[in-house]
Amino acid sequence: MILSRLAARPLLLVAGLFLALALPWMIYPPVALDIACWALFAAALDLLLGFTGLLSFGHAAFWGGAAYVSSLIALHTGLPFPVAVLGGAVFAAALALPIGYLSVRLRGIYFAMVTLAFAQMVYFVVNQWRDLTGGENGLQGVPRELLGLDLSDSFVFYYAGLPLVLIGFVAVWRIVRSPFGRVLVSIRDNPARAQALGYPVQRYKLLAFVLSAGLSGLAGGLFAIGHGFASLETVYWTTSGQAVMMVVLGGIGTLWGGAIGAALVVELNDYLVTAGFEGIGIVTGTIFVLVVLVFRRGIWGTARHLLEARSGGNRPGEPTHGDTPDGTPARSRGVGSPA
Amino acid sequence: MKALGRVAAVVAAGATIAGCAGGPGSGGSGDKISDGKVVLAVLNDQSAIYADLSGKSSVEAVKMAVADYKAKYGAKAVVKDVEVLSADHQNKPEVANSKAQELYDRQHADVILDVPSSAAALAVAGVAKAKKKLFMDIGAATTALEGAQCNKYTFHYGYNTYMLAHGTGDTVTKDGSKNWYIVYPDYAFGQDMQKNFTAAVKGAGGTVIQSDPAPFPNDNFSTFLLKAPGLNPKPQVLGTMQAGGDLVNLVKQYNEYKLRDKGIGLAVGLMFITDIHSLGADALAGTKFTDAWYWNASPENRAWADKFQAKVSKRPSFPNAANYSAATQYLEAVQRAGTDGADAVIKQLEGYKFQDAFAHNATIRAQDHLLLHDVSLAQVKPASEVTEPWDYEKVLSTIPADQAFQPADPACKL
Repeated sequence: MILSRLAARPLLLVAGLFLALALPWMIYPPVALDIACWALFAAALDLLLGFTGLLSFGHAAFWGGAAYVSSLIALHTGLPFPVAVLGGAVFAAALALPIGYLSVRLRGIYFAMVTLAFAQMVYFVVNQWRDLTGGENGLQGVPRELLGLDLSDSFVFYYAGLPLVLIGFVAVWRIVRSPFGRVLVSIRDNPARAQALGYPVQRYKLLAFVLSAGLSGLAGGLFAIGHGFASLETVYWTTSGQAVMMVVLGGIGTLWGGAIGAALVVELNDYLVTAGFEGIGIVTGTIFVLVVLVFRRGIWGTARHLLEARSGGNRPGEPTHGDTPDGTPARSRGVGSPA
Repeated sequence: MKALGRVAAVVAAGATIAGCAGGPGSGGSGDKISDGKVVLAVLNDQSAIYADLSGKSSVEAVKMAVADYKAKYGAKAVVKDVEVLSADHQNKPEVANSKAQELYDRQHADVILDVPSSAAALAVAGVAKAKKKLFMDIGAATTALEGAQCNKYTFHYGYNTYMLAHGTGDTVTKDGSKNWYIVYPDYAFGQDMQKNFTAAVKGAGGTVIQSDPAPFPNDNFSTFLLKAPGLNPKPQVLGTMQAGGDLVNLVKQYNEYKLRDKGIGLAVGLMFITDIHSLGADALAGTKFTDAWYWNASPENRAWADKFQAKVSKRPSFPNAANYSAATQYLEAVQRAGTDGADAVIKQLEGYKFQDAFAHNATIRAQDHLLLHDVSLAQVKPASEVTEPWDYEKVLSTIPADQAFQPADPACKL
């Protein structure tokens, strides 16, 4: 059993990489880039929600904040776009430091509310600082500059931007697999015990928050450059909600589930926009409710659970009430359980 | 032998993939009509706050324009095959941006129409410029489309904040209401309106005693309404720049506080006939505003409105009529140019003078691609004077095309 699991992992990784490379062949390239960006955003959020047990409802501040900063860098300095995107990510991480410092001491719904409040503050600053952000109209005409290459074709730009997304995914994956990641999981499962073992719980949470924000910023910056503009929508609370929805759809604490959730939501939205059907919200909402009610582990979480159940015996996905999670720290949790 | 077959299969697969790569962007050049047909795409809000006043009914209006074009030219039509597409941007600029790219690239749209809300319109204007395809905006009010952010491929058709503010501000002040109190929603559109309105009122010899920003969206305007009668000097007219649901709330509360009885009239920055329809004529009776077009203003307007009603079973709003007109003028320009190549069509549109069901004494200004046409200063009738459904407006005067809109902005370089 263990052998087959060992073989399955690289296989899945190769399949995922292939899918990421093949995406713009299968669907419209700008939509493919949207999926890639949202997938990274969802994975970054899952780092916090699934692995640290903190439900942030304010990640739009980091995604959108980075979108604006990246756009401003690209507009005013003409630097290559990866520099602009990284600048946005750094800004998001820096912004997360004070916000995280003030919010990680809270738990559960209070944490969600405080992050939401901070994100709304960011929204109002962006909306009011019109000279810099363009207010309601947003920042338009953001260039995509890279060593004089012609990136105007979104098919080409997808491949120029993909490495940034992949770097982000590798970072999330590394964080989760590292000893640091294990500590986060133990904090999620039993904060009192983690503290008793001598881990500074708040500082770990804060670092997880900053890392998650920085990676969200990476995704948000690329999203803005990809679209060629930054809009107020990116810092609005519905953006945070959409990211949470993607994570829940894909499966909390599964990391790759977020990518599936992102693909589903973006693709569905893209399809419904031209389908001539008025209730886009009704359709996505219904799917969300169905997933929450029927597949509590999310799509990826349920699939993995079924696979593991079939392979019998050893079920690393199931909760083990020990100190150290065996095999995979990523385990499926029900919605709303992170406290 | 087997190995050779496998290699051949791999090569064939590779060639197929490579073939696909050339796919996007390599449209047939040399043809007079690209892809053998003209594609008109209506990109607007079909599910959120602007769905009512334009949305799907404007798609029908564009289809009417196509039918009329075919009927007019018959066998002489340059394009035999005209397709009308539509997409819902839900008022989200990102969606508008990627849908616009997709419409131009994948669906071979030759022109995109409507696109309400300023942020979405500016986003699509950027795409039009990059793809070198036409964009005729109707739904957005921002003057940035023909100002700093104008471009060769973007046309602004129907109305803008300057026209709304100057029409109402100027006329109402000259009619004797010198003292104004302005309430505006605190976002780009509202601020733009407030600025233009203040300029218009001052230009006509009036004074703006105070103007207050209100949060957007907002459902409680009592702060402003209670304050209004106490201002010194007392304002004669309350100018509201709110739109949509906010406007409905403000007007209801204005009536509850009985400000009209206290000698404070109401002037509205932007109002659509659908707003009057949902509020009822009595709630707004006496309110003055600038309308780009009113269905019952002339027999010609009415004739078109009858045709529209036969299809959609309601009276048209001005964006409906403007969509019809823009589609018609686009097809006429293609007819004159003999091709749907964007540059040739633009040459035909620039400086063109015409009359149609929507646009009277109209010119498409070559410097900034803004449509200039006659607009009306209208007043809402009291319910007692309403004689048929949707009969809500009395046209007080016509503002001629050359005075209704701003002079070309030197910041605009096409």
